[in-house]
Amino acid sequence: MSDRVVVLDNGGSTCKVGVNLKHQPHSVFPNGTGKIKGERQPLVGDQLLACGDLSTVSIRRPIDRGYLVNSELEREIWARAFRSVLKVDPNSSSLLLTEAPFALPAVEELTAQLVFEDFGFHSCLRVPAATLAQKAHCQDQPGIAANRAACGLVVDAGFSFTHVVPVFDAHAISSGIKRINIGGKLLTNYLKELVSYRSINMMEETYLMEHIKEQACFVSTDLRADLHISRARQSPNRREYVLPDGVNSTTGFLRIPADPLPGSSRQPTVHEKSSEQVLMMNNERFLVPEVLFSPGDLGLQQAGLAEAIVQALEGVHESLHPLLLSNILLTGGSAACPGFAQRLLADLRPLVSDEYEVGVYMPDDPITCAHRGGALLAASPAFGQAAMTRQAYEEEGAARMQTIANDD
Amino acid sequence: MSGARPSKRRSTRDKKTSQRVGLVDKAERQQAASARLDRLEDDQDAGEALGHLSDDEFRLDDSDEGAQIGEGRKRKKGGKRPGVKRKTRGQLAEHRGPKAFSTLLDEAELEDAPEDGLSYLTAAAASSVYPARKWCSVCGFAATYKCVRCGSQCCSRKCFGTHTETRCLKFTM
Repeated sequence: MSDRVVVLDNGGSTCKVGVNLKHQPHSVFPNGTGKIKGERQPLVGDQLLACGDLSTVSIRRPIDRGYLVNSELEREIWARAFRSVLKVDPNSSSLLLTEAPFALPAVEELTAQLVFEDFGFHSCLRVPAATLAQKAHCQDQPGIAANRAACGLVVDAGFSFTHVVPVFDAHAISSGIKRINIGGKLLTNYLKELVSYRSINMMEETYLMEHIKEQACFVSTDLRADLHISRARQSPNRREYVLPDGVNSTTGFLRIPADPLPGSSRQPTVHEKSSEQVLMMNNERFLVPEVLFSPGDLGLQQAGLAEAIVQALEGVHESLHPLLLSNILLTGGSAACPGFAQRLLADLRPLVSDEYEVGVYMPDDPITCAHRGGALLAASPAFGQAAMTRQAYEEEGAARMQTIANDD
Repeated sequence: MSGARPSKRRSTRDKKTSQRVGLVDKAERQQAASARLDRLEDDQDAGEALGHLSDDEFRLDDSDEGAQIGEGRKRKKGGKRPGVKRKTRGQLAEHRGPKAFSTLLDEAELEDAPEDGLSYLTAAAASSVYPARKWCSVCGFAATYKCVRCGSQCCSRKCFGTHTETRCLKFTM
C-alpha cells in the first residue's frame, strides 16, 4: 500500500489536482479540450491555460450536467495531468476523487473503469466535494461552534449545477441534499444569449464569454434599486468590454465607458479612431447571476437558492437546524461572484425563524477549497480504511462482467 | 349541418390569416421554454459543432447523437456492419460513443427506484412558492405587458415592436 495519494477535484469546468505528499501548490486547469479554429490538434487540459487567445476556442467537456459521460475525453485530460503536470505513476498511487451526489450507476461504472482499468490506481475513494470543502472550512475556522461538530451547510455553486448539502460529523446527509439545475455554464450561456440579442453576436465565443462573465457580473443586493439606477442613460452599472482584436489584445478587458454617446446606451459603439469593438453591458451584469436566486426568471420551475436551503433543512432533523444555519459555507466558482454572500443572507433571513442565528461564510479560495479538504482527508488514516482497492474492484467488476455475459 | 355553418360564412383569407398568427398554446410555450433551457446547458451551439466537423473529415452517419461528433475514425470501424452482434464491452462502447447525460438518466429508470431511495430526481429542488417575476424579454427591466401570441413579457411599445419583429414564437417555431 503506497502513501502517495493523488487528490483530484474533477469539476465540470476545471480539474483541481495535486499530490498529498508534496506541499506544492496544486494546479487548476480546464477540464476539457479546446479546439482553435484552423488547427488540427485540440489543446488538452492545462495547455488551454497557456493559450492566450481566448476567441474562437471551442471547448469539449467530458462532463455533462455535472456527471462524467465521456470517459475517452476524460482519459486524455487525466493522462496529461498525471504524466506532465503531476509527474506521478498512477500504478503506484491512490486516488481521492470528487463526485457529485446521486451519480447514476452508469456514471459510477464509467468512472470506476477509468480509474482502475485505464489508469490502474491502487485504490480509490470517491467523495462529494461538499464534505471536503466543509473539512477545509473546519480547519480554517475552528472557532465556530458548529465546526467543532464538523457540522454545516455547504452551498456548492458549481459549473453544472448548485447543490445544497447539509453535513454532519463530516458526512453528507443525503435526505437533505437539494439541487438547483443552474450553474456557471448556464449563466455564461444566458449572458451570451442576452448580449447576442442586444448588442454583438457572441454565440460562437463561449470561452470568451466565460471570462467576460467572471469580470463583469455581480450579484445585486437590492435588485429594485439596481434596476432603477440602471434605467438612467448614464447608469453607473454600465460597463463596456473591449473585445480582443488579435493585435493589441488577445483577451480583451473591461472598462467604465468614458463618454456616453448621445444615442441609446445599448448600441455597440465602434470608435472611429481605434476601431475597437466594445460590448456594452448594463442590467445584464446583475440579472444574469440573479437567476440563481430566482430560477423562475428563466422559466425554470425550481426554487431559488434561499428557498432551496429551507427545503434542504426540511429533510434534516429539526435539532440540527440551528447548527446548520449558523454555519453556511459557500464554495464553487459561481459563489465567487461579488455580493453572493450578502444576497444569500438577505434572502435567507426572512425565511427562517428569528431564533436561529444565520452565518454565511466564504473561504478565501471558493474554487480550490474542496481540493484543500481533500488533501487533509488523504493525509488522514480514514482514507486508507474507506478507499476501495483495485482488488475489490476486480472481484466486483468480474461479477459485473458475468451479468453482462448472462444478458447476452 | 349546424356545425358547418360558421365556416361557410368566413372567408378563406380570414381563416388562413388566423391560422398563421394563431396563438401558441400552453403546451407549445412550455416546449419552447424547456428547449431554451436545454440550449443553455449545451457546451457548444450548432454553429460550432458544424465548424468542428468541417475541420475534420466530414462523415455521414445514420445515428443522430450530437455527442459523437469528432469520433468519426472510431465509429467507422464498428459502423460498417450494423447487424453484426458485438461481443465485448469495449467494442460496444467504441461503436456508440459517449452518451449524453439525459440518455443515461432515461436508461437508469429512476422512477422505479425503491420507495426509501433518494435519487437524482428527488434531489432536485421543488418549485418556488413565490410567483415568477416578470422581466421584459427585450430590455430586461420590469415588464407590465404580455405578448398575446406567445406569452413573452414586454415593458413598452418600443420593446414590443422589437419582440414581434425578432423573437415572437410565431417565427421561431
